[in-house]
Amino acid sequence: MNCLEFRRAAGADPGHLTPEVTAHRDACPACAQYLRDLLIMDATIRKALQVPVSATAVSTSTRPSWAVAPRQRWLALAASLVAGVLVGSVLWIGGPRASLAREVVEHARQEPQSFAATHADPVIVDRVLRAGGIRLRPGAVDVTYASSCPFRGRVVPHLVVRTEHGPVTVLVLREESLTRPIRVREGEFRGSLVPAGPGSIAIFGDTRSDLSEITARLETAVEWIELPGAGQ
Amino acid sequence: MNVPLAGKDRERWFARICEELRPDLFRFAFWLARDRQVAEDVVQESLLRAWRSRDSLETQDSARHWLLTIVRREHARRFERKRLKTVQVDELVNEESPELAVAEEGEVLDMRRAIMRLPDDYREPLVLQVLIGQTTQEIASQLGLTQGAVLTRLFRARQRLRRELGLGGPDDED
Repeated sequence: MNCLEFRRAAGADPGHLTPEVTAHRDACPACAQYLRDLLIMDATIRKALQVPVSATAVSTSTRPSWAVAPRQRWLALAASLVAGVLVGSVLWIGGPRASLAREVVEHARQEPQSFAATHADPVIVDRVLRAGGIRLRPGAVDVTYASSCPFRGRVVPHLVVRTEHGPVTVLVLREESLTRPIRVREGEFRGSLVPAGPGSIAIFGDTRSDLSEITARLETAVEWIELPGAGQ
Repeated sequence: MNVPLAGKDRERWFARICEELRPDLFRFAFWLARDRQVAEDVVQESLLRAWRSRDSLETQDSARHWLLTIVRREHARRFERKRLKTVQVDELVNEESPELAVAEEGEVLDMRRAIMRLPDDYREPLVLQVLIGQTTQEIASQLGLTQGAVLTRLFRARQRLRRELGLGGPDDED
């Protein structure tokens, strides 16, 4: 192996040398220095490539629920959800609808950071809505959190909207059809599952909130469109 | 190591894998796109696609390669769909200036700018090797190239960086 061949081999992969390359390095001081310089440069390359991964890059406003560490608890409401137990003051309709309501609550419980978000990127909101096969009438609601979340084997839009009474969670459940509304109450937490379009919408928040207005607004704000990829 | 077979165990395992790899996926996407916002979108979309296809992942060892492939394809798809405009690299560097932060050592900052200026064909294999830690064989598989082509691109990437940063010597090839 000559020096040119050494430099090509070392220049391509300075961290992994073949026996032949190693032998040349041991025999040639100039090439040994060249390799040392390369390794120093690679250390700088490695540092340079480690760009900061900011909070938005692992954004709490976009992260699907399966990526959330269950230990994260940021707000008192989230803590109350964690502490809540499905007994006492809970009003459930029995059977499959009770299971749906329970799973909706459980899903929100897994994303406490959704209540802490103050602003959602409009591009991401648009993407989440489109993926869920819906549009929102412009200006109807103020979305502070948007995430496409796995729920019952499908991916559904999970939104948090700002109201004067505090953040309200909305799950758009295209595949969960209802014939009538279901009211949900659990500790400090209450809401409704309402029939909407082909499926239903889950709307819930702090029990001190009056959800009637936001529920009515959402029922008229949500426009159902074709799911991406449908009809192909 | 084989992955859990099904159900909630598999979902939890999958979520954990994605969370562990997410920073590297973001950095890989960033160096493909050279744009933070695009990288965030690419990763988000990629993880969603990965979630939908999670049943096709067979072993934990292949998870990184699989996810990187998804990110790469999503970036290519986005580029094709949106015809992302070509910008002057100096503009990119200036736009990124908040994260080419003063807090970084000068040589790291200079290196970051130099990497930004590398052609895509040189930059991508370099990122896969140095940041992600893939072997040249894995890189070849990832990029659909021969190992020889990968070695050549890596060599040329380093040569160009040496030249840009004034580290080259008289014996360096042009």
